[in-house]
Amino acid sequence: MISMEFLVASGIGFVVACGIYLLLRGRSFTVVLGLSLLGYAVNVFIFAMGRLWSGAPPILEGAGPFADPLPQALVLTAIVIGFATTGFVIELALRSHHENGTDQVDGIEPGEDGEDRDEAERGPGR
Amino acid sequence: MQTLLHEVMAHLPMLAVLLPSLTAVVLLLLGDHGGDSHGGHGHHRLLWSRRIALASVLLGLLMAALLVQQAATGELTVYRVGDWPAPYGIVLVVDRLSAMMLLLTSLVAVPVLWYATGGWDSHGRHFHALFQFQLMGLNGAFVTGDLFNLFVFFEVLLIASYVLMVHGQGRVRFRVGLHYVVLNLVASALFLIGVALLYAKTGTLNFADLAVRVPGVTGPDAALLQAGALLLLVVFGFKAALAPLSMWLPATYAAASAPVAALFAIMTKVGVYGIIRLHGVVFGADAGPSVFLVAPLLLPLALATCVVGVLGALAAATLERLVAWLTVASVGTVLVAVGLFTDAAWGAALYYMANSTLVVAGMFLLAELVAAQRGDAAARLEPASPVSQPVLLGLMMLLAGASAAGLPPLPGFIGKLMLLEASSAHTWQLAVWTVVLGVGFLSLIGLARAGSILFWHVRDEVPGTAAGASPKLIGATTALLAATVAMSVFAAPISAYTAAAARQLVDRESYARAVLGPQGIQTNTTRPYRFAPAVPAAPAAAPVAQEAGR
Amino acid sequence: MSPLALVVLLPLLLGTTLCFWAGRVDSPARRRLTALVAAAVTAAALGVLLWLAPRVFAGEVLLTQASWVPAIGLNANFRLDGLAWMFAALITGIGLLIVLYAAFYLHHDDPAGKFFGTLMLFMAAMLGIALSDNLILLLVFWELTSLSSFLLIGFWGRLEESRAGARQALAITGGGGLVMLAGIVVLGQIAGTFELSQMLGRGAEIQAHPMYPLALCLILVGCFTKSAQLPFHFWLPAAMAAPTPVSAYLHSATMVKAGLFMMMRLYPVLGGTALFQDIVASVGLLTMVFAAFVAVFKHDLKALLAYSTISHLGLITFLIGLSSPLSAVAAVFHILNHACFKAALFMSAGIVDHETGSRDMRRLGGLLAAMPVMGLLVMVAAAAMAGLPPFNGFISKEMMLHEAVHGGLWGSAGWLVPVLATLGGLFSAAYSLRLVHDTFFNGPAKDLPHPHPHEPPLGMKLPVMLLVLICIAVGLAPMLLAGPLVSVAASAVLGAPAPAFELALWHGLNLPLALSGVALLGGLAMYAGLKRGGRLHAYVSRAGGQQVFSGLTDGLFALAGRVAQALENGSLQRYAAWMVASAVALGAAPFLLGSGPAPGTGQRALLPAPALAVGIWLALLVIGVVLLRLHRRRFEATVLTGAVGLVASLTFVAFSAPDLAMTQLSVDVVSTVLLLMSLAVLPQFSPLESAQLRRWRDGALAVSGGGGIAWLSWLALTRDHDSISWYFLEKSVPAGGGSNAVNVILVDFRGYDTFGEITVLGIAGVGVLALLEGLRVRRPGADPQGRPWSFERQPLMLRMAARLVLPLALVVSAYIFWRGHGLPGGGFIAGLVTAVALVIQYMAIGQQQAEALLHGAGGRRFVRWIGAGLGMAWLTGIGAFFFGRPFLTSAHGHPVVPVLGELPLATAALFDLGVYVTVVGSTLLMLSVLGAASKGVQPAQARP
Repeated sequence: MISMEFLVASGIGFVVACGIYLLLRGRSFTVVLGLSLLGYAVNVFIFAMGRLWSGAPPILEGAGPFADPLPQALVLTAIVIGFATTGFVIELALRSHHENGTDQVDGIEPGEDGEDRDEAERGPGR
Repeated sequence: MQTLLHEVMAHLPMLAVLLPSLTAVVLLLLGDHGGDSHGGHGHHRLLWSRRIALASVLLGLLMAALLVQQAATGELTVYRVGDWPAPYGIVLVVDRLSAMMLLLTSLVAVPVLWYATGGWDSHGRHFHALFQFQLMGLNGAFVTGDLFNLFVFFEVLLIASYVLMVHGQGRVRFRVGLHYVVLNLVASALFLIGVALLYAKTGTLNFADLAVRVPGVTGPDAALLQAGALLLLVVFGFKAALAPLSMWLPATYAAASAPVAALFAIMTKVGVYGIIRLHGVVFGADAGPSVFLVAPLLLPLALATCVVGVLGALAAATLERLVAWLTVASVGTVLVAVGLFTDAAWGAALYYMANSTLVVAGMFLLAELVAAQRGDAAARLEPASPVSQPVLLGLMMLLAGASAAGLPPLPGFIGKLMLLEASSAHTWQLAVWTVVLGVGFLSLIGLARAGSILFWHVRDEVPGTAAGASPKLIGATTALLAATVAMSVFAAPISAYTAAAARQLVDRESYARAVLGPQGIQTNTTRPYRFAPAVPAAPAAAPVAQEAGR
Repeated sequence: MSPLALVVLLPLLLGTTLCFWAGRVDSPARRRLTALVAAAVTAAALGVLLWLAPRVFAGEVLLTQASWVPAIGLNANFRLDGLAWMFAALITGIGLLIVLYAAFYLHHDDPAGKFFGTLMLFMAAMLGIALSDNLILLLVFWELTSLSSFLLIGFWGRLEESRAGARQALAITGGGGLVMLAGIVVLGQIAGTFELSQMLGRGAEIQAHPMYPLALCLILVGCFTKSAQLPFHFWLPAAMAAPTPVSAYLHSATMVKAGLFMMMRLYPVLGGTALFQDIVASVGLLTMVFAAFVAVFKHDLKALLAYSTISHLGLITFLIGLSSPLSAVAAVFHILNHACFKAALFMSAGIVDHETGSRDMRRLGGLLAAMPVMGLLVMVAAAAMAGLPPFNGFISKEMMLHEAVHGGLWGSAGWLVPVLATLGGLFSAAYSLRLVHDTFFNGPAKDLPHPHPHEPPLGMKLPVMLLVLICIAVGLAPMLLAGPLVSVAASAVLGAPAPAFELALWHGLNLPLALSGVALLGGLAMYAGLKRGGRLHAYVSRAGGQQVFSGLTDGLFALAGRVAQALENGSLQRYAAWMVASAVALGAAPFLLGSGPAPGTGQRALLPAPALAVGIWLALLVIGVVLLRLHRRRFEATVLTGAVGLVASLTFVAFSAPDLAMTQLSVDVVSTVLLLMSLAVLPQFSPLESAQLRRWRDGALAVSGGGGIAWLSWLALTRDHDSISWYFLEKSVPAGGGSNAVNVILVDFRGYDTFGEITVLGIAGVGVLALLEGLRVRRPGADPQGRPWSFERQPLMLRMAARLVLPLALVVSAYIFWRGHGLPGGGFIAGLVTAVALVIQYMAIGQQQAEALLHGAGGRRFVRWIGAGLGMAWLTGIGAFFFGRPFLTSAHGHPVVPVLGELPLATAALFDLGVYVTVVGSTLLMLSVLGAASKGVQPAQARP
């Protein structure tokens, strides 16, 4: 019979794999999607390090069992931070696209050579 | 008054974080210039922001100095946030290393902020608030005694750095900034995975408690724990620009505005700090099956980092990139010393790290001063119009370069010499000596080339910039370089301090006793977490109960 | 202040600063003043030395000690004995003459302050070398000479050859210094000290040590580079690009003698062994012959003198290497002599250059008529250089030949030694002859830049005269004038009383005399032979060491360029791939390489999976696969990603984490909205660009990464764990005042984390504002499917709904907020719910109004909210201070309020309120700034 543990473990792995693949694409938007997938998986992973507990929320009324509350608290923090960073990176991607005229992560459309880029590389902002 | 001072001393570790945080909040409430930096309310707000920010960093410097003075006596200051006992609550621990890092941060922050008030701070929104947030993150990371809390403050300093990175805008900054942010987000994900694994096997997050538990994790389970620790090596290694994860740094630092790049000089050291705390101490000597976990890996990678860094410096086309690559090389040198895993070598590492941070910060500022006086050529290493302050800038360049290349009697030399002496009789001695001296030689060649092009190979027909740099900018840069000179004049006490810091680090016993309380080491802080754990065993509860004296 | 330190510190501090100060304004008066200052400082240093002379000549060794960095054995210990005194006197004495000469030599547009300041720095460094007792300190000054000579040689940095020469000198001598550093450290570890005074007596013991050869070789490399011995000789001719006073100073008396000094200084420690003798003497001999030969063919006066210098350095090295007491005497004596005649000759070359504008012997000639005095002086000095009687050079050369004959070097091939030595003498006779003949005879001069040369000003001539006089005087009365100094210096070298020696022109008819006769006649013949038919002048020199060196450096830079380019190619995809790869590798390492058995499935009781769970799992797989297929269609991809988030929150629900579920859900909603809004101004599709191979590589990385994480989770999930969490379960209610353990941890046990966390959120909000500052993009009216992007006024129904939703949502969030401490909920979730409600509002009432409402004052309103929220949290935390408790210590009570029932009123709740405000503030800031950034309805034009 299939165990919950198996489902969770494999699920985490699967999402991480999808996340990594998208992360390695060449377009900023896709990269951001990959990052948020990675984020989801990591959150569940942290949570899972408190092991799986069904029907045991850590609301301390009556006698247990109670799920391990610490990883849950950590995940909450992680979620918030993840939210903040996602919000930031997507708008950075947007701005970069606008400034560089492309949302290719290196600012070079394939085929176009890196000349102007090297030009820009030298005198930042001056 | 007396009592107030006493109060302040009592809360000093916390205030190191709370001061910049308060300042940032105040600056947010004050609002920034909102675009108009010349005249009008915006301008007034900017002036006030400058005053508040400078006052704050100066106060921070003072507090850091106090903490160093306190730590120099050898006592560990432990501060229970929320008054919960370790390892259950979060504690701040200030030992010699932490105090030193705080002081170093302030020493970089003060001149850099002063420099930034020379104009950079008006080239974007909320520079001062973000700068303070950055300091808050750095200080928080340096004082915390809790692994997950370290992650949180990493995020604070990182997200602040993301914004500062693109401060001043421009296409290159946005593109490079995107790289920087994305890679750091991957690193953060890895950080979380590593922390989770450590928790999964030790059930605790407090550094002292981890150091106590890690030796206990034996058998097949040790592999899980070590996997977590090694993932964290990737994270810290990335932050510290350890090869092969150093390639992000040059473009990022070269693209950032000068004061930001200078401030970032301390950022790589956060990675080094993490490696020392976790892999050096927790997974260091007497860590049971995980003893010296990263030793076989760290030294070769660090040596590679030195080589890559100096080759990059030779190849650099602009002064900023040259400095950025030298940053990589210097971090490599520091990590070589760390990788030797003797307290003598660690003393050298800390001394060298302090100096290289100051030098690099100074050189980033200097690079902009030079670039600003060379017309269109900016900092490109090619013949151009003569700079308008050749003697002044030339001397600064000479000083900084000599220190970076490790020429005597500057601290770079002293640190490297300590490293050479510490590495003798080590199996890798030959490699270490060759690389350290070779890197010094190559940096010398690279810097001599850069200097001779920038200051000697001038083309008078090219129109230059007549105006010299403002005294403020010169002063800030000089302050940083003067600090390195001071480090060599007062090398004796400073190196004594770093050596003591190193010895204190390897003394896990007293660290644990200070943090977990006298019997904290014996009493088992963790308990089997099984079904129905609500009612704990009486005996084990007793010490904890009186520990949490509330 | 001890007099020894004073000798060094005078020029180091006073000299440099005063000269820079005096020379900072450029006027003839100032220039004279600067020179005067330099001269005064030098004279002062010399004066101190002379004042100490009696004690030194009485055989006393003066020591002063001051600790600097004990950690590395670096101490400011100085030592003055015969050898040190002789060098110090040379440095300051010749230095004085140089300063005088330079005062007249420098052109009026050469910055005097820079010149004399650097000269003082260099002089100080040289004095430091001479007087150091601590070897590390000596090395400090050693590298300082490299650095200051770099500045001096590059004084005319605008000229290519000056820059090249300076960089070459720095690279060779500085690099040699680094090697010597290694040697000194080894030596220090052998001897257990870096102090000469504790080392000199223990030669035998140190030479018995297995590490001795290593130390010796490393140190010798340092000496040879500095003293331009083969194969490091080439930097010296290149350094001739320097102003002539500098050449005269560096290459007669100082810089190049540092290497010799070091060999002599350490002779009692390292010298005398067969190894030492073979290396040093052979290198010296070969250098002497080779350089002398090359010198003959140099057309440039200074180049000829440069090679002759190398040759004479070789001669002295050879003498040191022979390591007999008498050879040491000869070495010391020749150092003195060479300093005198070579300095004179360099200055004369400078004068000729100064007067005629050329140093090329092919153009010069017949100058005797124009400047007879100079001619005479040069002839005498050149004769001394060639080793003609009755000048000082002759005596020391005789001694050299005598040593060469009796040296006993090279065993069976020993006869070769005197032959080579004589050859060296022969060549030096030849080039000396050429120097004189080609310059002052062999006229007339051909097209000189200054056609009418004449005698130089007295100030320039005086130093030369003085030196030439010394050459003659020492030649005539050697014992009287040089004897005592040579003897005291030689005994310092030998570390023992010097042998009885006799400095005299006439030693009777003996082999050395014959040999030098042969040398002189041979030299004459050689020059005559070469001269015939102008063959010598036609000769063009081919590539030498310099070209090799610059070739090497160019190669180095090219290599570095290639390496850097290969590693740092600016591709995010590459860097990210490396990161993932290293994570996978390191994560797997303990399992693959770890000692002991790799862990397998554990014993923990597993939870059976209900059908629903399996269904959701399958759904996840489907979502993922579809996402991978469609990821280039961004709208779909975004929605699918949101769906994955949904699965995550379902997981949390399933495994008793209601708080997480709620948070994840609300975060999911908001971030999806964010993504969609930004998608409005981004391209809708990603082009297919990664190559097949690239996609396979990424696939492999993804699979290994995912597989690794899955395996790790499986291993962890199938094992029970110990944890500190019991404490939270125990304390939450009694000590934390809340029954929702998670929330109590968040706001109390680990409230500090939350404090940091909301800071992050706040920074993100402010950051977005800073990021999109000044950004205005035109948003396409609709995406290719014709879905409208702009948020126009929505149908009345929705607006009404929204109007209802907002207050409702506010109530709900208030409820969630309050119950948070006891039941799932809390400030963060409440904040997000409020934000979501406001977002719905935003969509409903249409762009324009929404902006009016939300994007208040360039986002400043929300920045203030963020500030307020953070401030609230801060104040709550700080509140504890007034009760003498640490930051964030909570207090709580349970007042019973009508209707609402018992309220868990903890200070933590106040903290939570801060969280709430911050969350609302930054979420709205992110959304509104993004909204405000994307105005208009024209299709976005990607800038070319």
